[in-house]
Amino acid sequence: MFLSQLRGELRKLFARRRTYLGYVVFIVFEVLILTLWVKVGRDKVAELAERNLIPMEQLYSSLTSTYWIMGGSMFLLGSIYFALVGGDIVAKESEDGNLRMVLSRPVSRLRVLLLKYFAVVIYTVTFVIFVGITGYGMSVLALGAGGGLFVWNPNLYILSVYPEWGEGFIRLFVGACFMGLSMCVVSSLAFFFSCFKMKPAAATIMALSVFFIDFVLQNMPFLRGVKHVFITYRMENWAYLLQEEIPWARIVESYTILSGLNISLFIVGWMVFQSRDFKT
Amino acid sequence: MLRIENLKKRFAGKKALKGISFEVKRGVIHGLLGHNGAGKSTTLGIVLAMISADGGEVFIDGVSVQKEQVKALRKVGAIFEAPSFYDYMSGWENLKVLVGLSGKFDRGQALDIVERVGLSDRIHSKVGAYSHGMRQRLALAQALLPEPEILLLDEPTDGLDPEGIKWFRDFIVNLRNERGMTVLFNSHLLSEVELMCDRVSIIREGALVFEGDVNDLRDDRLGFKISAEPIDVLKSVVDEFGGEWLTKSRCLFPPEHRVANVVERLVGAGAKVHEVTPVRRSLEDVYLEFSKESSCS
Repeated sequence: MFLSQLRGELRKLFARRRTYLGYVVFIVFEVLILTLWVKVGRDKVAELAERNLIPMEQLYSSLTSTYWIMGGSMFLLGSIYFALVGGDIVAKESEDGNLRMVLSRPVSRLRVLLLKYFAVVIYTVTFVIFVGITGYGMSVLALGAGGGLFVWNPNLYILSVYPEWGEGFIRLFVGACFMGLSMCVVSSLAFFFSCFKMKPAAATIMALSVFFIDFVLQNMPFLRGVKHVFITYRMENWAYLLQEEIPWARIVESYTILSGLNISLFIVGWMVFQSRDFKT
Repeated sequence: MLRIENLKKRFAGKKALKGISFEVKRGVIHGLLGHNGAGKSTTLGIVLAMISADGGEVFIDGVSVQKEQVKALRKVGAIFEAPSFYDYMSGWENLKVLVGLSGKFDRGQALDIVERVGLSDRIHSKVGAYSHGMRQRLALAQALLPEPEILLLDEPTDGLDPEGIKWFRDFIVNLRNERGMTVLFNSHLLSEVELMCDRVSIIREGALVFEGDVNDLRDDRLGFKISAEPIDVLKSVVDEFGGEWLTKSRCLFPPEHRVANVVERLVGAGAKVHEVTPVRRSLEDVYLEFSKESSCS
């Protein structure tokens, strides 16, 4: 029964136009970044390849451009849409009065929240994968299917080259899945605020504020020594899957912390939601 | 079917319910009357577990809403004033989502109910395009799915046109007659309660001030009106029996006098009696009486 109810929740989520706002923006963004990549970036990339003794087909490839599209945009641009959807999921229904109809049915508040939370998580993960697939598809159209993968992340000190398409593709795909899990933290934050008695926009802004404050602090030079305490640093750890020697211990540690945070946000949100009065 | 015991609730320190208790018997349409802010919707909110009670308990068919909410609400269907659906989805999709929360969605049963509420033609249209009346019919359909034993109606006819109100009233009365449905009807429209309900509870400022059968109220006579001429004869009879002038040639006599005695006196004095009408106490009279009493106290 939970699955059929989850289908209903997803039906609600994907029947709303604003759910697709992020998809549209990302497609436009992908077109823009690829146009710039083809028109302006080629020479710069050739220069970079020559200086670093990296073969041009690793740098100027569809896999590498997909990595730039995802890694460069998902964190800042994607978080806006995850916060928007997560902030809406409870607060908008509460504001519109839909929750009255839902709560008058024989269903516990915990189940209502679980359904909504799972729907948000599914949205987040599938959105990241969608961006990966469309980004790669467009990159193939613009640059061709072949070539390897070049990864450069100065923040995490990652510099990797995968000359073979197969390995590069698998690394990028697994990385994208973990990136989806990372982005669930933004959705969880927004979901958490959405459980309070506040407007959906307020829940979205609160979640984004926490996220950006954490991100800014993490990048402060004098806090580099303690960057491991910041959520956004842990969220970036998906990129370690693209490192030649994968530091599994660090990845497991980060994702355990992120999962714990998600669960804690859900539990506290549920307790707030459970104690709320919904006037008829 | 529904038992409410000593419900208490405060909002921001202000007492919204001061220990309300009443019972709704199976197969009865029970009206819950009160002015805006009297505590009707809070009572209904607590029955539906949307509002937590500070004290007291609600039982639906013997099951405590506070202790076993999901089990208790299995027998309940609810309709609110201005029901809020997902406007961007069709009526049918709304039904699937909402009814799905109660368990399995039975397509055949849903089609049957949709036909009964007269929404078959528009059930696949987006709810955003529905009129208020259509929304209320959809609300009725969702409340009747899967198969509730008690309907909780929170001011459901507010905003409906007269035709819509009559349709709604007839539908609910038929449900009670045909299926023995129990109904708690929350309203401030006295005429609606009087026309539809078997019993009524009146709430004022969070306290129950009256509970009784609507028929008993109707049978409680206030007196009778007499229209007669000439006026001077009527005046002497009014003075003698202690009547009250309503118009130039019409008077109201209190119920302790027999109609025959008054008419006999008028005819004996040479008056021509045009009309004799019994006056019954309406629900409005009772409501206003109790409102006045509780205001004074």
